[in-house]
Amino acid sequence: MRYVTERMEDLIAGLVTAAIGVFIILEASTYDMGTLRSMGPGYFPVILGSAMVVLALIMILTARPNDMPQPMGMDQLRGTLFVAAAFVAFAFTVESAGMLVSVFLVVFLSALGNRNTSMKSALMLAAGTAIVSVLIFRVGLGLQIKAY
Amino acid sequence: MSTLVSDIALGLSVAASPAGLFYCFLGVFLGTIVGVLPGIGIMATMAMLMPITYHIDPTYGLIMLAGIYYGADFGGSTAAILMNLPGTATSAVTGIEGYPMAQKGRAGPALFMKAIASFVGTSFGVVLLAGFSVPLARVALKFGPQEYVALMTLGLVAAAVIGTGRSIRSLASVALGLAIGLIGLDLNSGVARFTFGMTEFYDGLPLVAVAIGLFGLPEIIANAGRTELPKVQEGNIRMKDMMPTAEDWRRSTMPMARGSVIGGFFGALPGTGGLVATFVSYAVERRVSKHPEEFGKGAIEGVAAPEAANNASVQAAFIPTLSLGIPGDPVMAIMLGVMMIHGILPGPDVIQSKPDLFWGLVVSFIIGNFMLLILNLPMIGMWVKLLKIPYNLLFPVIVAFTCIGIYSVNYQVLDVFVLLGFGFLGVGMRALNFEVAPLLLGFVLGPMIEVYFRRALVVSGGDFNTFIDRPISATIVTIIFGVLLWAVGSAAWKGLAARRPRQTRDA
Repeated sequence: MRYVTERMEDLIAGLVTAAIGVFIILEASTYDMGTLRSMGPGYFPVILGSAMVVLALIMILTARPNDMPQPMGMDQLRGTLFVAAAFVAFAFTVESAGMLVSVFLVVFLSALGNRNTSMKSALMLAAGTAIVSVLIFRVGLGLQIKAY
Repeated sequence: MSTLVSDIALGLSVAASPAGLFYCFLGVFLGTIVGVLPGIGIMATMAMLMPITYHIDPTYGLIMLAGIYYGADFGGSTAAILMNLPGTATSAVTGIEGYPMAQKGRAGPALFMKAIASFVGTSFGVVLLAGFSVPLARVALKFGPQEYVALMTLGLVAAAVIGTGRSIRSLASVALGLAIGLIGLDLNSGVARFTFGMTEFYDGLPLVAVAIGLFGLPEIIANAGRTELPKVQEGNIRMKDMMPTAEDWRRSTMPMARGSVIGGFFGALPGTGGLVATFVSYAVERRVSKHPEEFGKGAIEGVAAPEAANNASVQAAFIPTLSLGIPGDPVMAIMLGVMMIHGILPGPDVIQSKPDLFWGLVVSFIIGNFMLLILNLPMIGMWVKLLKIPYNLLFPVIVAFTCIGIYSVNYQVLDVFVLLGFGFLGVGMRALNFEVAPLLLGFVLGPMIEVYFRRALVVSGGDFNTFIDRPISATIVTIIFGVLLWAVGSAAWKGLAARRPRQTRDA
């Protein structure tokens, strides 16, 4: 068991790679393989999937002891979640609510990802950025994104 | 000779025009900001500026994007020297000697020498670019599909095994990248591959969103929650305190020359680039120095050599990109993407069919290099002040501009999700110690390499010997096997060394 835990990082990497490789082979085998002389759409992906499986086996067989990957700290987790939320908010609002609202949301949400940023400065930064980006991108560069 | 003069005159007419100068300045200026500030990558900046490139002539667009690239590397080590926090990945090595110099109150000379070394490296790289691209492109016009397959494979193998330390993982990254590159309609048969019913993916995944996701997002995420930043070692950073001593000059000359050559070599080799070049040149300086004991404590050679190498490699990276259409690194892939958006098909005939673009770029590099010297020497104080902008107020704006930039490429909301998806792929890969650069290179080359691979085997009737029957292709195949053998050999050597109980430290 210790053999496994010590080598966790290499083993996980190998297993993930193998899984993706197998997935590629399975999906590609539903396409026409063709022959070497005239390859079908399935040929090249099957080669790639097989290469990944072989590489994964080497990774697993040559696994060496490693430090476990460090889990994220609270600060970083917070940053990650808020930045991801910001992107999602942009995607959902840009076409329905326009640039002012979506940029405001993006900046506000990602600003809250850092715990040194106060609510007040996040709000001010968001409002300012929203107005400036409408001026730059809508008025200045004429992008086809409506302002509101 | 006379053609060179007329070529340069043509380049001057493009690069020294008011628009050329403006976009060149905008590029190097923004590049310097990006380079100085840790936590904003070149990729994210390019995404933010994408909307501008649609509105201008592609030549000016490329001049601007290129300016961001070499400007960022020129200014990239300011934060590495002052805060031991590299502004770009390639400037990490400079911090090894630059930061101790700053701690001893010699930040000024370190910054000065960094600027000079960057200037020297860039100049050397531009000469290589101007000298080698045209003959290389002429040879490349004779390339058949076999040569292209061989060259791209060399690039991918080199990207995977040189300087990454974990070749097997990087090769897996390459394979995954190639497979992701195949997503979309197969041009030969019209079959939709790996699209899972999404018609939006028929044209393949959007390059910019993938690239920014893999490189830009993990960078932002890693820094977004950070609450403490190292203090800026200011020292005396006025122009007259920056002058290096005669001793500094003497000790930096040869390292700059060696660094330029090393950088030029690794930059021109597709797949490797600035990062490898800086590490190699630093290692070389430590080996040949008469004062190896000073390394790690502020040896100026360790600032001069990697900086020259880094900047020479940036310029040299344009050689395969512009003369063969094979991008050597992720930034070059984006540049090629911009060319394709404007309907220019990258390849060996670009130099001949669009000489104004090629020579305009070359001359703009020279002009930009002088602009950077001014930006980085007399105006260095401004950048040091810039380092005091709190990152927690900066990155939300970057996130917003990135969103707008990505969305404006195709006006597709889906692209934002692609970016997010690849961002998490990038974070996950980093957590398991996979390199993301080989993946992106594979992604870009995937469709091309498959087309040429099929074509080569159609031409030869399914005979693999076609790759070694042609002299150029055979040479490249030999080099590929050489690189692979070297990688296997050095891995085995390291494995043996690790088993020995007391291992020498600087292996």
